Amino acid sequence: MPSTVPTIRTEPRLAGALAAALSAFALGLRRNLVNWPVLMGRCLFYLVVMTIISALWDAVAAQHLPGTMAALLPPGGLTLYAGATEWITLSVASIHLRLEDDIRFGALEPQLLRPKPYLLQKIAEALGDTAARLVGIAAAALLALALSGRIAPPPIAFVYVAVLGVLGAAIGVLLLTLVGLCAFWLRRVLPPYLIMQKAMFIFGGLFAPIGYYPPWLYHAALATPFAANLFLAGNQAIAPSAASFGAGLLLQFAWIAVLSCLIALVWRAALRKILREGL
Amino acid sequence: MSAVATYAANVAVAIRTSLMDRTNFLLQSVGMIVNDVFFLVLWYMFFAGFRRVGGWGLSDVALMLGLMMCIVGIAGVFFGGYRDMAATILRGEIDALLTQPKGVLLRLLARESIATAWGDLAMGLWMLASFAQLSWRALPLVAAGIVCGATVYVASAVVYASLAFWFAGARSFARDLTDFMLLFSTYPGSIYTGATKFVAFTLLPAGFVVLAPVTFLRAPSLRTLATIVVAALVYAAFAAIAFHLGLRRYRQGKVPTG
Repeated sequence: MPSTVPTIRTEPRLAGALAAALSAFALGLRRNLVNWPVLMGRCLFYLVVMTIISALWDAVAAQHLPGTMAALLPPGGLTLYAGATEWITLSVASIHLRLEDDIRFGALEPQLLRPKPYLLQKIAEALGDTAARLVGIAAAALLALALSGRIAPPPIAFVYVAVLGVLGAAIGVLLLTLVGLCAFWLRRVLPPYLIMQKAMFIFGGLFAPIGYYPPWLYHAALATPFAANLFLAGNQAIAPSAASFGAGLLLQFAWIAVLSCLIALVWRAALRKILREGL
Repeated sequence: MSAVATYAANVAVAIRTSLMDRTNFLLQSVGMIVNDVFFLVLWYMFFAGFRRVGGWGLSDVALMLGLMMCIVGIAGVFFGGYRDMAATILRGEIDALLTQPKGVLLRLLARESIATAWGDLAMGLWMLASFAQLSWRALPLVAAGIVCGATVYVASAVVYASLAFWFAGARSFARDLTDFMLLFSTYPGSIYTGATKFVAFTLLPAGFVVLAPVTFLRAPSLRTLATIVVAALVYAAFAAIAFHLGLRRYRQGKVPTG
């Protein structure tokens, strides 16, 4: 006679964590699609930003002062480059604010008692948010490009920008996760966020390609995660090449691995801190 | 006690509250200074490469950024309630103010003092003194430019926030519009032509917040002074009218809830 004692079937921990992360990703994606007016507002913001930036670069290109770097500008100016980098920047979800809220207002502790990994779920949810925004803003960008009458890059450039842009946005989410975890020590993450934002401007080449910097600064900037976040994708919009695409892809995967490890270390340190001192 | 004295007392309390957690206050202020330094470095690098944009050079942009930082700093320190005013309206938090005899708008503006704004203010003053190529004789003119610009900036933010009396979605929209105005105010004025120039001098009045004051400081004249003073008065009057029309709806219970 078979035993009637019930047995507990334990789900493998990794598979369970991944399933939870996938659900959180889908939640983030769906939430953005349901809140489509907010997504439309984000697209409008992108178009306003691009109007200003394209006006700036068009003014620089039109002036074409001799003896300046204006001679190095591509024929269509840097509007396409900025279009790609702004697409990534405005798509990245503000995970740092959600982490700050949970940490500051005590919503974290009950989450830690649950069997699912809190931080992985938060990151997955932010990636879902980011994915929806990437699609929405890309549609707005392509429409604006078609209506502007600007010369479009070759079709392969769109593929390169899309692949490197998605990975760049993932790096952006990981960087903002690190900013959010600062709340364990600083309570408010605005200062580290603003510093990281400006590092994205300068080392990431949000505004202008880092290739225009002096060689020493270019190499220094290229060695930061900010270049993998923005420059690698943006550069494909003005100078597409299979070789730089492949190298960029490798660099981005390396940064995703490094940042993930760093986040795990900081998270463990933070947990040790709250177990010792409380929040 | 006059409305202005009540406002001053409220602001003093708000500033003291923002100073209470000194470590946090310092972190936020210094963080903003570092942020502003990065911004300056960015433009420095831009002008190192391209020298001028439509007649604007680094000193002009430094003047513009210095003015803008002072304006945002003053607005944040002394009128910090502007930042979350739409949310305050939608949450019904002005109910308590309606039972009191003093002006609601000034009390709403004095509800909060933003710690990061001190960083902006310090950096703005340093930038004006170091990079904007201004003489000490220009000090009264700089003060006039900052006062007029800050008036237009806060007035516009009040108009955007007043949309909350009509629309529930105004909470984030008002912030977005304020951020758009800030964005327009941090690029050289010479890049705006046609439709963008129209927007910069009407809906998102970066033109009157900072670009017209820059023109006034570079070529002071009665005409340019009159332009910024009249703009400040018109925007302030428009803000007062929009807010009080909305407040009338609020008293009648016609306001959407957030």
